[in-house]
Amino acid sequence: MRRLRALEPIAWVGPAVVLIVLVVLWPVIEMIRSSFLKISRFGVVQGSNGLANYDKLFNEKDFADIMVRSVIWVVAVVALTVLISLALAQLFNQRFPGRKIARWALIAPWAASVLMTAIIFKWMLDPEVGVINQIRLKLGLIDAMGGAAADQLGDASTAMPWLVFVAVFVSVPFTTYALLAGLATIPSDVYEAARMDGAGRLRTYWSITLPLLRPALTVAALINVMNVFNSFPIIWAMTHGQPGYSTATSTILMFILKGSDIGESAAMSVVNFGMVIVLTVIFLRVSRWNKEVA
Amino acid sequence: MNMKLVGGAALGLATVLVLSSCGSGGSGDGGNTQASGGGQVTLKMVAADYGDGPGKPNSGETFWKGVVDEFHAANPNIKVEVQVINWNDIDKQVATMVQNGQVPDILQTGDYSGFVKDQLLYKVDEVLSPNVSGDMLQKFAEFGKVDGTAYGIPFVSSARALFYNKDLFAKANITEPPKTWDELKAAAEKLKAAGVTQPFGLPLGQEEAQAESFLWMLGNGGGYKDASGKWAINSPQNVETFTYMKGLVDAGLTTPNPGTKDRKTVWEDFGAGKVGMVNGGPMSIPIFDAAGLKNYGVAPIPGKAGPLDTTLGVMDWIMAFNKNGHAAEIKKFFDFFYTGNAATKISDTYKLLPVTNGGIEKLSSDEKLKPFLDALPNASFYPFQDPKWAEVNPAIKQTIGGAVKEDPAKVLGELQKVAEAG
Repeated sequence: MRRLRALEPIAWVGPAVVLIVLVVLWPVIEMIRSSFLKISRFGVVQGSNGLANYDKLFNEKDFADIMVRSVIWVVAVVALTVLISLALAQLFNQRFPGRKIARWALIAPWAASVLMTAIIFKWMLDPEVGVINQIRLKLGLIDAMGGAAADQLGDASTAMPWLVFVAVFVSVPFTTYALLAGLATIPSDVYEAARMDGAGRLRTYWSITLPLLRPALTVAALINVMNVFNSFPIIWAMTHGQPGYSTATSTILMFILKGSDIGESAAMSVVNFGMVIVLTVIFLRVSRWNKEVA
Repeated sequence: MNMKLVGGAALGLATVLVLSSCGSGGSGDGGNTQASGGGQVTLKMVAADYGDGPGKPNSGETFWKGVVDEFHAANPNIKVEVQVINWNDIDKQVATMVQNGQVPDILQTGDYSGFVKDQLLYKVDEVLSPNVSGDMLQKFAEFGKVDGTAYGIPFVSSARALFYNKDLFAKANITEPPKTWDELKAAAEKLKAAGVTQPFGLPLGQEEAQAESFLWMLGNGGGYKDASGKWAINSPQNVETFTYMKGLVDAGLTTPNPGTKDRKTVWEDFGAGKVGMVNGGPMSIPIFDAAGLKNYGVAPIPGKAGPLDTTLGVMDWIMAFNKNGHAAEIKKFFDFFYTGNAATKISDTYKLLPVTNGGIEKLSSDEKLKPFLDALPNASFYPFQDPKWAEVNPAIKQTIGGAVKEDPAKVLGELQKVAEAG
């Protein structure tokens, strides 16, 4: 009887473990296995391929550029998202008339499908009829519709900022709400104590709010890092990674490769997977280092 | 606090796993095609969508439901389940099905050749009656053969020609469509002076850059391969062609940043009256009609010294997989499709060209389709039977637009390297 008792936890965690093994671990193993196979574009497995898939991937002309761009993309989007969300969370934590409506409105970009948002922005940036370009025309920023000047998604130097903007736009709501929840957990007596000690506003924010917000901030930023690194629909819908590969991240490259060489695409997925883990570890290290200093 | 960090790390890792495993989604659920009791056979079919997508009146689902219901009424023992997939995803999804051993019985898509070597397909004479295969255009049927044996059945075809906006041409005082590159440039300059933002529509973006490029290459006696069948993407003719196109782009006579523009966008712009000339096909006619453009003409595509005597022909294919047996049932369905009115209906609905002599005769009275029907017998095709094409094609789609922005010889040279590698 007692022995059965000891086994009881297994009955409780068992289903969850089985689920994780089936829907999480198994596909990961399949992905890694595929990366060592020779698979034709038509899906026919033609036997083992050793490390040739990785070899081919690392020798792609644009591979290095794409990896660097992916890291810049993640850092830029997550940093901007967190900064904007910190400010917004503070704002929404104050009492002001219409706060409820403002909070609801913030959900909109989050509730809408990311793909839909991306396509709408692509339309707004259309060189012939896009509303953003019509506004720029009225403001005298461009001379005419239809030309290269009105085609901001056509060149990497102007397309990348727009891609980052849309990615931030769809990431801000979740992050703000996570931080808002974090702010709500900070007890008011801590602030009272700080005021008694004569701390100014900046000092209070830096020494009380931020450190106590850290758990929420860490989780929100971490989820963003992974989400943004794997982000596909925004770039795909707006530029296809073009011109050339100059707006492609590693996730986009993985998808493009899937159309020509599935094994190489699987190798890219494995590299991607490794990158996310590395980024996560670095991130956790950095946030712990912060704590020791504070 | 430390516990929280560990918790955070665990949560993080779990999220990594979940998110990254999402990336490899799209598992097919096909393959359950055993014959159940009573001799009832279910054929599983995968088809590409020629329409405007799910929910639209011309969607592939609607079209195939009509065909299948009619077939089922005539053959109560055979049920056909059709899964319609859009063109962007069909290759990848079918590849996943094949990789998982869950092949359909019938597949209708853009290529068949990659399945032949591994003996996944029925031969054509096993699944098609001789009177039907005998009616196929000879030139098309030839392309369905690998080493002399036919595996692919031509399904529909299309050809290309130059569309020009007659109103804009009148506004710019151009009397007739250009025949040579010099005339094309002169016409484009006049259109530009008359305030047309895109005198020549040039879609070299992801969607179909390989088609637009090929049409231009043909105009200078070039192509993806030379006469001896060797890859010749960076041949002197092709470099000259792209240098000429780059000149047009630099002068602002084309769609801006052609390497990022899909043909659908450019066709819609043409339909909206923003584009003077564009290469298109029968399948672009519904798009122009929907946009309300009426006054346009169709002419042969201009080449360097004169109009093309050939054009790009594209064929789509239907094929039968042998994994589940069912050859007899598939044969019934194929014969029904080609001899009944289904093949005519698909040409009508989507403005695609037929692949049988009988079908072409039926359509020869259609004024708008006539230039394309005339061009079909002398069409040029992609080198899709070369296994390397499967790798070269995506590379072209992604990067060939760079050849009108950067150094043409360098960009074409990189593509040539892809074609020659391994």
